[in-house]
Amino acid sequence: MNKIQQNPVLERIPVDGPCPRCGAEELRRYPVVSEGGWFQVVKCQSCLYSVEREPWSRLGPIQLLSDSL
Amino acid sequence: MTEPARLREISDDEFTAAYGSDRFTSAVILNRLRYAVEHMSTGFMREAFSPIIRDWYDFACTISGPPERGYPMAVVSNSLVVFLGTLGDAVRNAVEEFGPENLSPGDVLICNDPYRGGTHVNDVCFIRPVFAGGKIVSFVNMRAHQLDMGGTVPGGFSATKSNVYENGLVIPPVLLWSRDQPVRSTFSLIFDNTRWGGMLLPDFKSIHQQLKLGEQLVLENIERYGLDAYLGTLTYACDTSAERMRDAIALVPDGDYTGSALIDADGLDDTVDYTVRVTLRKRGQHIEVDLSGTSPQARTCINCGVLDAKTAVGVALTMLLDPEVPFTSGTWRTIDLATPPGTLVSSLPPDGGIMMFWEASGAVVSAIFDALNPVLGEKGVAGDYGSTNTHNASGVTAGGTPWTSATQCGGEHGPWGATKEGDGDSYTVLFFLNNLDPATETIEHDAPLVMLRKEHAIDTGGAGEFRGGAANLKDTLWLSAASHYLSPFRTKVPSGVGANGGKAGPNGAMWFFPPREDARELLGTSAEVYAGSIPVAGVLDPDSKAPDPEGVYHYFASRPVWRTEPGTVLRCLTNGGGGWGDPLARDPERVLADVRNAYVSVEGAARDYGVVVIGDPHHDPEGLRIDEQATAELRARR
Ligand SMILES: [Zn+2]
Repeated sequence: MNKIQQNPVLERIPVDGPCPRCGAEELRRYPVVSEGGWFQVVKCQSCLYSVEREPWSRLGPIQLLSDSL
Repeated sequence: MTEPARLREISDDEFTAAYGSDRFTSAVILNRLRYAVEHMSTGFMREAFSPIIRDWYDFACTISGPPERGYPMAVVSNSLVVFLGTLGDAVRNAVEEFGPENLSPGDVLICNDPYRGGTHVNDVCFIRPVFAGGKIVSFVNMRAHQLDMGGTVPGGFSATKSNVYENGLVIPPVLLWSRDQPVRSTFSLIFDNTRWGGMLLPDFKSIHQQLKLGEQLVLENIERYGLDAYLGTLTYACDTSAERMRDAIALVPDGDYTGSALIDADGLDDTVDYTVRVTLRKRGQHIEVDLSGTSPQARTCINCGVLDAKTAVGVALTMLLDPEVPFTSGTWRTIDLATPPGTLVSSLPPDGGIMMFWEASGAVVSAIFDALNPVLGEKGVAGDYGSTNTHNASGVTAGGTPWTSATQCGGEHGPWGATKEGDGDSYTVLFFLNNLDPATETIEHDAPLVMLRKEHAIDTGGAGEFRGGAANLKDTLWLSAASHYLSPFRTKVPSGVGANGGKAGPNGAMWFFPPREDARELLGTSAEVYAGSIPVAGVLDPDSKAPDPEGVYHYFASRPVWRTEPGTVLRCLTNGGGGWGDPLARDPERVLADVRNAYVSVEGAARDYGVVVIGDPHHDPEGLRIDEQATAELRARR
């Protein structure tokens, strides 16, 4: 089992407050890819409701040096 | 979160308000656009010089909507699924980076960076803006595999390259044609960094013409039906996919489901294997797919990018839940992919090189099948042969002529798993590729080789009420000295997993047989022949070197390049497809037909299906019959 823990795990940052749909206090912020590309979402971990859904950087975690020109 | 109105239930007025046209006209426009991408495909197929286009159909065409609507990929050709899955994002990412305001009528924008657009550097995206009324209203697009894109390995198909620099030429979004004039600096960039430019050039010219054709057909639709109806139809097409996928997802019980799939090794050494782990969290009409726990990105170029992982998620859910759903951007509307960066299936540059991308993303498909098959019961789908076991070879003939053979003589084609509908097909390509099979005559014409066998191997379909497809056995005699690159990735654990109680298909392997005195005699297929071989890959008995699940793993890149003498034979045996349902529930008449057709041996019929077949399938196939009583007794004892 040790090996599994070394494998990368997506970081989900806790966000205060209840889910407006199901009431669970399980909101988390993290990036996802879906229709339309990358988004930063704040999502209920219990019912998958997206409280926030903002377009993220075009290539997700990859930054192009040429974007700094 | 209000659910959108169902398309069938909205009134005609609401439909027209939403989509700029009545239902009938939208259906007509959509069919005309599907015709457009098929027409572009046929034109390219007819003209292409490159064997991988001509013989493999290694390209795809799509139509996307304009920037202000989010570049919806609404129309796709009937072709390479991994290309279709990534083209929506590729077009958006390339055009946004280049700047839509920098595009003019008659431009062709290209990009081949896997991190910007998915797949691998050989797959160049060609994007043409379509202007109407001085404004971009659409993009017609093609992605086509180029036989070489530079890097350290001719043709590129190898697991041994360490990073993006060794991998090949990376082209950011740049113009290849500007206002229908070739951009010489871009052509030079490509020709100066890749092999076989003479083959690439005419194909580029053909692609340019197909894009012009696509543009013309789009403009004809706009002229005839109006811009509102055209753009509305693109939205309608994506909404249709989204609705049907939502309905399909709703069929899965709410819950969290986990699955995994194993890749044997990368191209550096055999000390590390790679696992794709997936957790599907399903609530109502939404699914979140988390790839946390997947192995870190590989040390050599067997990785894929996150866009390929996204494609795999779309393909797996489409196949399991509703194969009729048209594959558009809308497919992913209620699907989120959540993945940590830097895994085998979300690799990062420059070290996480991407070449054998479909092998990694194919493992995502397998892992999703693994996770959902137990939930789906009868709707489960058994696994396929898992790896294209890609072979690449090059050399120089005795007369001094250089030759190359790419993706023709390995285990590229193989079986699918069985489903509730019937037996698995036996000679196709992986679930989510959808290519053609090169003709033997063409393969023998292009390189100094003789294709001795290309046949179904007996007793290799996973047993089930419906049988898995048979593994493919391919023998190739190499007439001149050759340098081979071999890439089988799924020999340690069965890829052809069973569904609904069916059995897994057995695993394959690869061997070289040194030149023999009796080179004109076919190699046999019984276990004894392998003793004289040099194993390349597979889990094999240490003494006989025949496949044995309890045996020893042989590592495909123990020699990064396998150099062979004239007269060597390469044998590739793929994995078998998985079976569906209880083997003892298979109709004995079907088992009899399998024995007659050499899918199953007489011994296998009794062992795997409890069916006693009497007779000689080789010398008296018409005389075969079932011993009903012995069969009933045998099945009753199980
Ligand atoms: Zn909730």
